[in-house]
Amino acid sequence: MEFTTMVNGTFYCFAIISHLATLVDVVPGVFFGLPLLALASFVFAATHHEDDEAITLATIHWAVWIGGVLGLILAIVLLIGLF
Amino acid sequence: MSPDDGSAIDLKNPLLAALLGWLIPGLGHLYQNRVFKGRLFLITILGTFLFGWWIGAGRVVYYEWGPTDKRLAFIGQAGIGVAAIPAFIQSRLLNGTGRQPLACSQWFAPPVRTRQYVSDAYARRLVTEEPAIVEEDFFDRQPLKQFRGDELAIWQFQLGRAFDIGTLYTMLAGMFNILVVFDAFAGPMGITAKEQKKLKTEKRSSAVAA
Repeated sequence: MEFTTMVNGTFYCFAIISHLATLVDVVPGVFFGLPLLALASFVFAATHHEDDEAITLATIHWAVWIGGVLGLILAIVLLIGLF
Repeated sequence: MSPDDGSAIDLKNPLLAALLGWLIPGLGHLYQNRVFKGRLFLITILGTFLFGWWIGAGRVVYYEWGPTDKRLAFIGQAGIGVAAIPAFIQSRLLNGTGRQPLACSQWFAPPVRTRQYVSDAYARRLVTEEPAIVEEDFFDRQPLKQFRGDELAIWQFQLGRAFDIGTLYTMLAGMFNILVVFDAFAGPMGITAKEQKKLKTEKRSSAVAA
């Protein structure tokens, strides 16, 4: 990798991080919900199980359920919005 | 009390573990030698909280419980002790006789509201550090100063949606930590009491057979 490319890459990384607060206005709000969905799934799974394998499986299980229900609600809201 | 394989977990002192878990997410589990879960909670919950705090420019976590203005999000944020304690202290100090937060720091301090009295030192600090606040925003009420603006409105104007997102992240991180505290206190809730009883009976019968 060229030195200038590396420097530019690092600069842009820092620029993106430092401007994250302004990116909040650009990024759709739904994307800020995804990490929270993952966190909720993980916490529910980890407080119900002790083994790492069981926690992983339960995290996926919860993520599918929560994501499915929220996705369904979103779809209904969007459908209502069409009419 | 039982993990997935049915063996008992040594919860050590559950009250101490719960207290540690409340102070810093995952610390209670680390104290109980439940290292995997402890580290994961530390990274995920504390990470979410810090991300929210950072995106909200460090202004979204504060305690305010006046007759007209109540910070309801603090109920969730209080789930993480390391943030709840300083926020509570800063609020008490700002509304106490001294009328200024600890070392005049804005960290975890609630916003100064309209007609609120602050110390002269804190008023000067706000004028220096907050570009939107000028000296003319304060009435001179010796030995104090009375603010005629609304600092919360300034924060919300400056941060926009980041204020709400930061509040949401910190609030949910605190609320999830309550579940983690319960996990540190009583163990995972995956196995029901009925299943635990069954496991105990099976263990006892196998011990008798041996």
